[in-house]
Amino acid sequence: MTPVSATRDLQPVTFEVIPSLDLLDDRVVRLTRGDFATAQGYGDPEEVLDSLHIANGSRVHIVDLEASRRGRPIATSIVRRLAKRDLRIQVGGGIRSFDDARAWIDCGAERLVIGTVAAEAPALLASLVAAFGAERVIPAVDVRDGIIRVAGWERASAAAVADVFARIEGLGIREALVTDISRDGVLRGPAFGLYRSLNTTVRIIASGGVSTASDVVSLRRLGNVSGCVIGKALLDRRVELRDLTARVSVPDSVPIRVIPCLDMRDGRVVKGVNFENIRDAGDPVECARRYEEEGADELVILDISATDANRTTALEMVRRVSVAIFIPLTIGGGVRTVEDFRALLRAGADRVAINTAAIRNPDLISQCAREFGVQAVVLSCDAKREGDRFEAMVRSGKEGSGIDAVQWCRRAEELGAGEILLTSVDRDGTNAGFDIDLLRAVTSAVGIGVIASGGAGRLEDFRDAVESGGARAVLAASLFHDRVLSVADVKTWLGRERVPVR
Amino acid sequence: MNITLIDSPVANVANIARALRSVGGELCLTRDAGVVGDARKIVLPGVGSFIAAMRWLEETRIDGALRAAVARGATLLGICVGHQVLFDSSDEMGATRGLGVLRGDVRRLHGPLPVPQIGWNRIECAETPLFEGIASGTPFYFVHSYAATGVASEIARAHYGGAFTAAAQSGRVFGVQFHPEKSSTAGLRVLKNFVESS
Repeated sequence: MTPVSATRDLQPVTFEVIPSLDLLDDRVVRLTRGDFATAQGYGDPEEVLDSLHIANGSRVHIVDLEASRRGRPIATSIVRRLAKRDLRIQVGGGIRSFDDARAWIDCGAERLVIGTVAAEAPALLASLVAAFGAERVIPAVDVRDGIIRVAGWERASAAAVADVFARIEGLGIREALVTDISRDGVLRGPAFGLYRSLNTTVRIIASGGVSTASDVVSLRRLGNVSGCVIGKALLDRRVELRDLTARVSVPDSVPIRVIPCLDMRDGRVVKGVNFENIRDAGDPVECARRYEEEGADELVILDISATDANRTTALEMVRRVSVAIFIPLTIGGGVRTVEDFRALLRAGADRVAINTAAIRNPDLISQCAREFGVQAVVLSCDAKREGDRFEAMVRSGKEGSGIDAVQWCRRAEELGAGEILLTSVDRDGTNAGFDIDLLRAVTSAVGIGVIASGGAGRLEDFRDAVESGGARAVLAASLFHDRVLSVADVKTWLGRERVPVR
Repeated sequence: MNITLIDSPVANVANIARALRSVGGELCLTRDAGVVGDARKIVLPGVGSFIAAMRWLEETRIDGALRAAVARGATLLGICVGHQVLFDSSDEMGATRGLGVLRGDVRRLHGPLPVPQIGWNRIECAETPLFEGIASGTPFYFVHSYAATGVASEIARAHYGGAFTAAAQSGRVFGVQFHPEKSSTAGLRVLKNFVESS
């Protein structure tokens, strides 16, 4: 279980998003997972800083990559220039001696980021604190697979993570930079599990993998993380610094919805794995009532067999379910026209999900949005992994459409979809966890909310869909239906994991 | 007590009717301005677009009937877009005039969170008869892209990027931005408070 320390309840008053520039040969570069062979150039440091529109007085994180390898300060003239700006510069890389540290302070650096020394030379760390003050010393703890890495990440340290933190706390140091180097520069999200496992009173600055606004919100939610550094995603203009700052500056305790889903055929609840091998599993009204009692925030019903012939059966089912509950009801399956959409709303649906028909006729989204409001229109997107991309599928996930799922979701937002129900066809019914890569790709591409669907198997999966995936709602069918977990179990657990729930 | 429920085609009236009946409301569904004008206790539902809702109220002359009923001292509850149209105006697709029975304007939700807001959100509510039995911090279900903000008649607020008015009251005119008919037991309690109010 997650270790909990007394400090966890103290949400940091401010959360700093700190842009990070890695310097090599007087240029800004990025390495992937600390490997020098992967260096990618971004140009002159001052020009790069200008392009990021950093607010006056903000912190900037500078890494002298060459120094970290050669063991002495190299980029001093650049840091001296940058320090003349109205910025608070922290410098790391290759600080192995008191003289190295002195050299950076003389260049105008406000704080020193110290890796190798923190792990391997406690006496020097103590002397730096004595000379410059504890608040100017930021130990950098670089971790891979639970082991501290030193010397430009190229060597493992003998010091244990817990021992290093005990030493840092003992010196009165207030914050530490913690990097999971397997995440660095790969845009797959921060190592939330690592930060959650750290039981220390030192405030953590997270580093590695931060690439979306949702990442920053999730880091803040952990409670023991007071800031993050972000490099590649900013330099590649995947996100703007001001958007991240804006997102993290507003409190976001809006509850995440936990949504049970009923898959229907001919008026009965059915179950299937990967949209196939369907079997009967009960009456929808009984299921719906039970879910409301368990605390379901919404109910989704997908009529997977909906055809013109059994349209009447479907509408009758919606009528029966909608009068049995007082929570929102979203219905999907076989919606081809504005009239189909209207009929479902009239039968008692609050929102209607459209899928195959929208891919064949994208105008259907805008027509329904105009007619019934964007809030009523849910784009249901079944996505299947094709290499490192995702394809939008049609006909209950059975047929490819040739359309990129992420681009399709973005287009659907423009056309007027109010939310996206995003199902991983690969994960659906497998209990192997939501497809986090798919979720990250879509949630970072659209401004509307995304419901994570397909693959829920464990409590942790729901948290990860929100924390790493950026989902605003999480959906599961068989897991709830088979009573492996109840909706109440999931919500209670999420609440303990600091995910806001109703 | 008898409640006149305006049978707006741009609302899911059936769900609201069912919720009101479940807490003891006796309903009269109507699209007749004359009936609305004489009513003592009125519920005005609405979903979707402010403009479509106002256009229908104008075409049916229920707009004038509502103003007259309020002037006579009738009790009125607006829900979601039915709440929004109680205000002076909305900036949805350019400025549109509302009923003007509550002071203030409706604006698009702004800030970094996804719009529309779809889901449950906690409200901070004043101790008023409408929220009797409801603790501040109770979540209600919201589905909206627009909201009144910081109006004088605010009796409950919620935060979504910034603060907005979750419920308003001026005299006998009430409005709730959330959907009480979709807010499970908490929502039914609010409707019960309204139904039982004198």
